[in-house]
Amino acid sequence: MKLQGEYVFDGPIGEVWEIIRDPEVLATALPGTQSLEQVGESEYVGKMHVRIGPVAGVFAGKIIVSDEVPPESCTLQVDGKGAPGFANGIGYVKLFEQEDGRTLMKYEGEMQVGGRLANAGQRLIDSASKSMIAQGLESLNNALKTRLLAEEEGIDIEYVPPSEAEFAAAVAKDVAREMLPPAQMAGIALAIAAVVLLLFFLLKRDED
Amino acid sequence: MTEKYVGKRMTRTEDPRLLTGQAQFVDDVQIPGMLHAAFLRSDYAHARLKSIDVSAARERPGVVAVFTAEDMGEDWRPSPPNVSPPPGMKGVTFYSRTPVPLVKDTVRHAGEALAIVIAESRYIAEDAVEDIWADLEPLDAAVDLETALDPDAPLVHDDLESNLAAHLAQEKGDYAAAREQADLVVKRRIVIDRCAAGAMENRGIVAHWDPKAEHLTVWDTTQAPIPIRNGLAALFGLTAPQVRVIAPFVGGGFGPKIMLYYPEEVLLTWATLKMGRPIKWIEDRRENFFATTQERGQVHYAEMALNKEGRILGIRHDFLHDTGAYNPYGLTIPLNTQSHAMGAYDVPNYASEIKVVFTNKTIVTPVRGAGRPQGIFLAERLLDIAARELGIDRVEIRLKNLIPPDAFPYEHKIIDQAFAPLVFDSGNYAATLEKAAAMIGYQKFIEEEQPRLRAEGKHVGLGIVPFVETSGVGPYEGGRVTVETDGRVSVATGVGTQGQGHFTSFAQIVSDQLGVSPRDVRIVTGDTDQFHWGTGTFASRGAVVAGNAIRAAAVTVRKKVLALASKVLETPEEELELVDGHVRVADIPRKSISLGELAAMANPLRGAVEPGTEPGLEATDYFGPQYGATANGAHALIVEVDPETMMIDIKRYVTVEDCGTVLNPLIVDGQIHGGVALGIANSYYEQLIYDENGQLLNASLADYLIPTSTEIPRIEIGHEETRSPLNPIGNKGVGEAGTIPVPSAFAQAMEDALSDYGLEVLEMPLSPNRLFELVHQGKE
Repeated sequence: MKLQGEYVFDGPIGEVWEIIRDPEVLATALPGTQSLEQVGESEYVGKMHVRIGPVAGVFAGKIIVSDEVPPESCTLQVDGKGAPGFANGIGYVKLFEQEDGRTLMKYEGEMQVGGRLANAGQRLIDSASKSMIAQGLESLNNALKTRLLAEEEGIDIEYVPPSEAEFAAAVAKDVAREMLPPAQMAGIALAIAAVVLLLFFLLKRDED
Repeated sequence: MTEKYVGKRMTRTEDPRLLTGQAQFVDDVQIPGMLHAAFLRSDYAHARLKSIDVSAARERPGVVAVFTAEDMGEDWRPSPPNVSPPPGMKGVTFYSRTPVPLVKDTVRHAGEALAIVIAESRYIAEDAVEDIWADLEPLDAAVDLETALDPDAPLVHDDLESNLAAHLAQEKGDYAAAREQADLVVKRRIVIDRCAAGAMENRGIVAHWDPKAEHLTVWDTTQAPIPIRNGLAALFGLTAPQVRVIAPFVGGGFGPKIMLYYPEEVLLTWATLKMGRPIKWIEDRRENFFATTQERGQVHYAEMALNKEGRILGIRHDFLHDTGAYNPYGLTIPLNTQSHAMGAYDVPNYASEIKVVFTNKTIVTPVRGAGRPQGIFLAERLLDIAARELGIDRVEIRLKNLIPPDAFPYEHKIIDQAFAPLVFDSGNYAATLEKAAAMIGYQKFIEEEQPRLRAEGKHVGLGIVPFVETSGVGPYEGGRVTVETDGRVSVATGVGTQGQGHFTSFAQIVSDQLGVSPRDVRIVTGDTDQFHWGTGTFASRGAVVAGNAIRAAAVTVRKKVLALASKVLETPEEELELVDGHVRVADIPRKSISLGELAAMANPLRGAVEPGTEPGLEATDYFGPQYGATANGAHALIVEVDPETMMIDIKRYVTVEDCGTVLNPLIVDGQIHGGVALGIANSYYEQLIYDENGQLLNASLADYLIPTSTEIPRIEIGHEETRSPLNPIGNKGVGEAGTIPVPSAFAQAMEDALSDYGLEVLEMPLSPNRLFELVHQGKE
């Protein structure tokens, strides 16, 4: 599976580089990450809980960062396996300074998946992984903005990353959007709204 | 005889038990103290097993044992081949590589078992599987059939020089000379992809070694209980009578359950022998997609030479056959393809070269059809293309080439899957094709309906093809028929039953001989303690081979009944008749005796008998045909395609079958319905999709599309009846006939429906997506 995309961070290139090379920030930005430890100059090991469609479970894996040209580019090699199967991939990340002071990230890579993840999650894996990357970058950008704001104001502001449930819900929404035509999405949204209203009404009645 | 049961459309005697949930399946077996097994299976298609740590799994509460290949010690060995490798024939190369019980060093397909966990419950066993850590080093996988023989392809078995598993060439006449004389040579690359059998019941095994009785009982969803019994006894140093294999009711076989020995069969037996406790394993659906065999993957480079009148001068096709990671089933499938690549036609010159290829995919053994659909497909496709190029009507070109009724027995001058000469025994091939054309209204459709529908902007096409099905092959089966003292009749045979209606068809055969109602005939199949000679249910042979064996035994019992009754009633045998469970004097119906009373007299408790007397009214007999009977038929369908969505609507589906004597039309119709459903699945729905690493991408019933009743049209069935001269009943197999010609007829109908797009179908299965791509290629 090929992965490719770009993302604009609301901050200068140096800060972006720092944040993407900080395992603690990475761990919080990728919800489901149970641990992420730096074990070498540019090697990390960790565990992450992943859910794609009907397949869920913990992946144990490592990330190796190589060909580093701070703060411009690096190569990421990811290798993970666990009960849901295995995934390994290689990604090339490049950062570009923008005229407005923001930073453009371009990434491309290739990923191989196997086991249950490939056998049963195939229909969802493409859109789910794209969405996970997008959501993860969004979290990183929020962490970046929090950090910049804190520096600016000279005060401590704590960045609150999304919970695993929030993250999963956002991914599920993206996947559904890709799989269902807009009209159907609207229908589902309406149906959910109706159910919520109904529940609210029933609970209310119980209280009375 | 007042009533004749053979040929009667009667409901199945086994159905009340099945429909009310009273029939026993393997998963119904419950034994006190029974343990449950689960397997750790490889996620990788090709990998080196560097180490495996099962200590955490062993410590989990409720886990009784965990075994790896190392733990099996000397008992770890590849299983014996299922079908004997080819005899030392000239020019045949064959490298036998059979499955192993557990991976020792190299994983060769995704889903191959690495360890077995045995626990107090399946839940615990499944959890413990996740406690195991297997260090697997992934290797490049050989997946694509056409590149797997390249010199730089990864080797599935690294002790071999290449992935070539077998090589065999056959020639009849002189194809090269025929090609020289041809007015037209049609040449195409034809690809058939893999499918699963998709039986409703997955595989299951309960193995129980009773150390005090020194007796092993194995309940198994196998199609071949007797070979399993003999094989397990031999593997584990037991005598055959110490082993009882029971194949109870089985929810569909379709071929893969004839495979032996599945690693699970060997492992559960090994484990119960070691532990002395009963163990159950029931395959789950996901496991079934990896651990149960599959079929159909072949690539053909095919050509047909014809003269301008449309007579076939010769066919040549060299092909690659995907056998998966191992080849326990020998050359059966590719040889079947060769046996059917000349279709139902009189083809004077034929040449074909088979290359069987190992790949890092699930093992291949026959699935309903077993190489025959591929053979028929290439013959019919080439003939359709030739008919178009020569401007000859597609039914006419077929009638010109069919083997004529006076040419039987028709010697094909090549060898079949049994390495014996291929001979078609009987048939009236033109009659079945003409009947199918009449039933579907061929002339009216092409002359009136299709032009009218086209004018309305509809894309409606017709497909019509004849086919043959080699069936009813040897070596032999047996049956034992016993009249009980209550007048009912017990029958035992060795073949297993997976839904074929054996209980009814066999009862009908016996009823005609003994003058009892089929409801009073109790059949036992697939229990080696009841009958232990025979081979199994495969190759559309049960009704032919076991049916005729049971008939032979019933004929002998009838003779015994008449001899005894003649003495008791003091009447010559010629004047006696068997009616309603009694033997009576034909002219004096009051003068009679029941079969039950005769059975009691035949087994006296005191007194003397004449020397040489056999007790009871019982006989055992066997039947082995000289060679297999060949059924034939023709299928026709009308299908409408929506060229925007490529969704299809099969408007009509017609089959005409000639399986010789029809034992029970209801059961034969049922076989055809099921067969056609699989054929439609093979045409437009079911395709196993592997990625370049050997990962199966649609291993669930959400993604692997088994058609449902909404996709299968009503099927109109006609019959011709040409009795086979090879057996007394005169029947031929029909189990696979429904499936074999469907992709050929379907492809022709698609081309016909989408003729304005210049569509040419050279692959199966299609799907809406694939059809859309093909139509767009056609446009460019």
